[in-house]
Amino acid sequence: MPLSETDSEVSARIEFEQSQRSEGWKLLRGLLRDQRRNLVVGGIIGITWASFKVAIPQITKFAINDGIEKNGPLLRWAVIIACLGVVTGVLSGLRRYVAFRESRWAETLLRERLFGHVLGLNIGYHDKAQTGQLMSRASSDLMQIQAFIVMIPITLSNVIQIFAVATILFITDPVLAIVAMLPLPFVNISARRFSNRIHPISVAVQAEQAQLANVVEETVSGVRVVKGFGAEQVQFKKLEKEANDIFGEAMKAAKIRSNFLPAIDVLPALGAVGVLGVGGHRVLSGQLSIGDLVAFNVYLTLLVWPLRNIGMIVALGQRAAAALVRIHEVLSTISDIKDPEVHQTFATATSSTTQLGAVKFDHVQFGYDPTQPVLTNFNLEILAGESIAIVGATGSGKSTVARLLLRFYDTNNGHVFIDGVDIRKIKLSELRQQIGVVFEDTVLFNDTVTNNISFAEPDAAQEDLERAAKLAGAHDFILQLPNGYDTIIGERGFSLSGGQRQRIAIARAIISDPRVLILDDATSAVDPSKEGEIRDAMRTVMSGRTTIVIAHRPGTIALAQRVVFIDDSTVAAIGKHEELVSTNVRYREVLANMEQSKTAKNIQAVK
Amino acid sequence: MWHAGGVSDEDRLTRAQARTIVGRVFKMAAPFRKTIYLAFGCVIVTTSTTLSAPVIVRHGIDAGIRAKNTDALNTSVVIYLIVVSLTYIFGRLLFVFVNKTGESFLRVLRLAVFKQMQRQSMAFYDRNKAGVLVARMTADIESMSELVQFGLLQFLSAALMLIFAVLVLLVLSWQLTIVAFLVMPILVLASIKFQRDSNKAYLIVRERVGANLSALQEGITTVRVIQAYAQEDEVNRKFQISNRSLFAAHEKSVRVSTWYFALIEFSGVFASALMIGIGGWFVHRGTVTLGTVVAFVLLLSSLFDPVQQLSQLYNTVQSAGAALNKLFSILDATPEVDEHHSAIDLPTTGELKVSNLCFTYAGADNPALNRVSISVGIGEKLALVGPTGAGKSTLAKLMARLYDPQTGTVEFGGVNLKMATMYSLRNRIVVVPQEGFLFNGSIRDNLRIARADATDTEIESAIAAIGATEHFAQFSDGLDTQVRERGSRLSAGERQLVALARAALVDPAVLILDEATSNLDPGTEAEVEHALERLMTGRTVIVVAHRLSTVQRADKIAVIADAQIAELGTHSELLALNGHYAQLANAWAQSHSITS
Repeated sequence: MPLSETDSEVSARIEFEQSQRSEGWKLLRGLLRDQRRNLVVGGIIGITWASFKVAIPQITKFAINDGIEKNGPLLRWAVIIACLGVVTGVLSGLRRYVAFRESRWAETLLRERLFGHVLGLNIGYHDKAQTGQLMSRASSDLMQIQAFIVMIPITLSNVIQIFAVATILFITDPVLAIVAMLPLPFVNISARRFSNRIHPISVAVQAEQAQLANVVEETVSGVRVVKGFGAEQVQFKKLEKEANDIFGEAMKAAKIRSNFLPAIDVLPALGAVGVLGVGGHRVLSGQLSIGDLVAFNVYLTLLVWPLRNIGMIVALGQRAAAALVRIHEVLSTISDIKDPEVHQTFATATSSTTQLGAVKFDHVQFGYDPTQPVLTNFNLEILAGESIAIVGATGSGKSTVARLLLRFYDTNNGHVFIDGVDIRKIKLSELRQQIGVVFEDTVLFNDTVTNNISFAEPDAAQEDLERAAKLAGAHDFILQLPNGYDTIIGERGFSLSGGQRQRIAIARAIISDPRVLILDDATSAVDPSKEGEIRDAMRTVMSGRTTIVIAHRPGTIALAQRVVFIDDSTVAAIGKHEELVSTNVRYREVLANMEQSKTAKNIQAVK
Repeated sequence: MWHAGGVSDEDRLTRAQARTIVGRVFKMAAPFRKTIYLAFGCVIVTTSTTLSAPVIVRHGIDAGIRAKNTDALNTSVVIYLIVVSLTYIFGRLLFVFVNKTGESFLRVLRLAVFKQMQRQSMAFYDRNKAGVLVARMTADIESMSELVQFGLLQFLSAALMLIFAVLVLLVLSWQLTIVAFLVMPILVLASIKFQRDSNKAYLIVRERVGANLSALQEGITTVRVIQAYAQEDEVNRKFQISNRSLFAAHEKSVRVSTWYFALIEFSGVFASALMIGIGGWFVHRGTVTLGTVVAFVLLLSSLFDPVQQLSQLYNTVQSAGAALNKLFSILDATPEVDEHHSAIDLPTTGELKVSNLCFTYAGADNPALNRVSISVGIGEKLALVGPTGAGKSTLAKLMARLYDPQTGTVEFGGVNLKMATMYSLRNRIVVVPQEGFLFNGSIRDNLRIARADATDTEIESAIAAIGATEHFAQFSDGLDTQVRERGSRLSAGERQLVALARAALVDPAVLILDEATSNLDPGTEAEVEHALERLMTGRTVIVVAHRLSTVQRADKIAVIADAQIAELGTHSELLALNGHYAQLANAWAQSHSITS
């Protein structure tokens, strides 16, 4: 926080934080509204349980006074107490069950809401968001909230229990009640303080553990370097430092525990000492029965756990509030890219001769940061069925063209049309169904080959699937996988080569037979000797379909009918590859650069 | 509820394993034996004081109140107060001692396991996946920290509490002790069943939490693909399935604990009922006093709580045992490549000579190298080429003794590498891996990986030696620039420069290079080439080559095919042979000719 913050800024900030917090609590209330009935039931169970729990020592007292001291009906007393045991047992189980079930249910629903919301947010948001942070929203923040919700019904019965016990004690003997309960508020205060103090230390311990994990991770991954230079000692020193740091933080935590936990344990015992001393004298002077004295001791133990729990829930509530604010922040983010209020639909083919998929960029201006445009006055018309290659230097905005067409971003100025319709007037899902895309970095899901290919069309028939795979040149190697089309691939599944991954991505792009195909140079991540296979697949799927190839490698350019050369954030030239080579100096430079980056030297050497 | 545990069936230890583990833990904990004894002393004090409280209350009631003896009552109160204070003081000390012992043990364990991992040769790292080794050092050790923080302490005091409670009860009245034990069988059986069921339920929860997190992460990281194909609804639907099955697992695990906690609560009250009924009858008959019955009612929880705690700890102890078992197996692994006890320093320079080398990777059927012999003279440059998996990288690794051959020798200046000191070996022969692997820290720190004692001047001259001084001077923090995790702050080319500077810092006689297959950013590519050129000058070089340009610069080319040297000679000699090499050169040329 800047030191120069003025008073008005401070109050504005506090006001903002308060409003955030109240939004967070509103979110929680909204969540729990649907589960209100079950929570109320849980509360009633808890209160009933608490009253029975409180009644038992009272009955025990009667039993001792009447049954044992006055030779009353022992068996009847014993049976009564046993029956009470059954009731409290059942109720205590149910209380836990309802509390946990409801809290888990709230957590489950909130996680779904969060996930669905995040998936729908525009790509501009995801560019800035960190996966780790979003993950911790959906895991550890939700955990904090769950831990708080579970305490709600339990706290309710705890409060009732405390009141009931206190009332009984005061009715039995007010003086003794004060003596007995004097140390108890400190149990509550200590529990709350403990919870607050230990939390930052446990976070610190975790942070230190993460640092140690980093050292281990890099040492194991870089074992060639470590072994190659005999750097074992250097890495060991780093690890020793981290291990010592963990030890230091853990001992801090131990210190806090030793400061609080034994005190929390011992405080109620002080009340018991008071009961024996003061109470004993009151029995001697005839103001109290022995049974009451025993009951007093039992009641004291009944107060310990509720008081501790209430101390804990205050701390839990503070953490849950912070988590709720963070989650609310995500949920209240609105996507920049939305469906139009009134939407048009694409024309469908009227006769077999009409080719669909004409694309037009009309005076488009766009920058990820609007003050720094990547594309200005960008005009481009692609005929239906035509294939074009987009060429430009690194960072020239080649891939941006594709992203605008998909409406990952909206233009700052100008319009994009597909088959004469402004893409902002089409429903997002309809627009994107008409575009097939292969990204530069192939992303496959941890799922079967079938599900990966049919991703765009989950209900696709097996024959459509195989047709797409064959077109993409993937069918043959898929059949050779351990389980064919049912083989699980992706990060945790069967590992495919770069070229195989690309061909599956190509099959995925064409399965729904899109009007426009975008191939963000699929060869760039592939072993040079495998480039040919990918290009063959690309050539096949491109024929007769509007295709935009974003070329990062010179070899890919030849696949397209026309080349669009982007330079200086606009279309610098359009034409056939050979024409541009012979007429445009800048084009030759850019090509040469691409070439160089893939060891042009070698080629010359061979010639 | 406590869920530190969770042991899958294959991780469960046998009795013999458990015994060895306990023995080894005690041996490792030997340095802090004093603290352990102190902790033990504290437990004895706190347990006795906690248990003596009801006895004191009984004395106060029987000797003081019922006998109408004020002095006896006052004495009881004073003793009670002293006992409570002792509980507090020793309770505090206990926390400190137990935590200190436990955390010290974990620290020693971390250092020992890491040190042992570092001693292992490359073969060990081939066998064990990186993720598993990281898990050993993190999750497995951390899984014990809960035990260390609470478990150990609870275990000690619960066990002692149980023993003491039984003793006290027996002293008070053996008849009532029998009554109290009537409930025990229910409690023990219920606890055992609960442990088994909750462990099972917990393992399912853990598995589904993992699956749920993966689904979340996949959704977030692949959001571009999902949106591009307008499949948000479908992905949501799938996530919902995973999410609901996680809920079902949670619900199941709560249900398991529901009846258990109900039973526990019931048995506590039921025991008091028995105490009133049967104990009251004993009072009527004059077998026991009323005070004794009251003391028993109060002591019942001291008897039941420990049983419950011990059974809940069972899983935690089990999973700690499983983790220790895995860690000890790392500690027991003997390094395959180790310094010979009578090792000598390698000469400063000499010929690198490979004779009759045979090597098979552990678990492989076919040898990776089969009777390979070759020698590389001082200052000579040898390129190794050949198809993937033919053994060229293996040969390079054996030349630096990252592995030991099964038969045959690698000699430098007439000394067998197996007989060389590790220090001199790493100083004479340096391997520069394919990709510049950087560690978190500054550029300077990353150079010191190669020589921990290098001065700043030495580091700067190493950078100068590869001609990269200017490049790094551009950075605002110069050589102190933090490269971040895996060197992500630097470009691939810059990382490679740092890796080469490392080698320059060592100034070895022999340089073993594994050439990168992928391309660098055009900007630094030339600089890296240049740095490599300077580094190679005047040194013996062995390069695993993937590029024609590199091969052409070599004095000698060895084509490795089928674990043997198939062809050996200069570029033009081998082209003329029209064999493996000619084919390879042709393929290289073709893959780049499409564009021109």
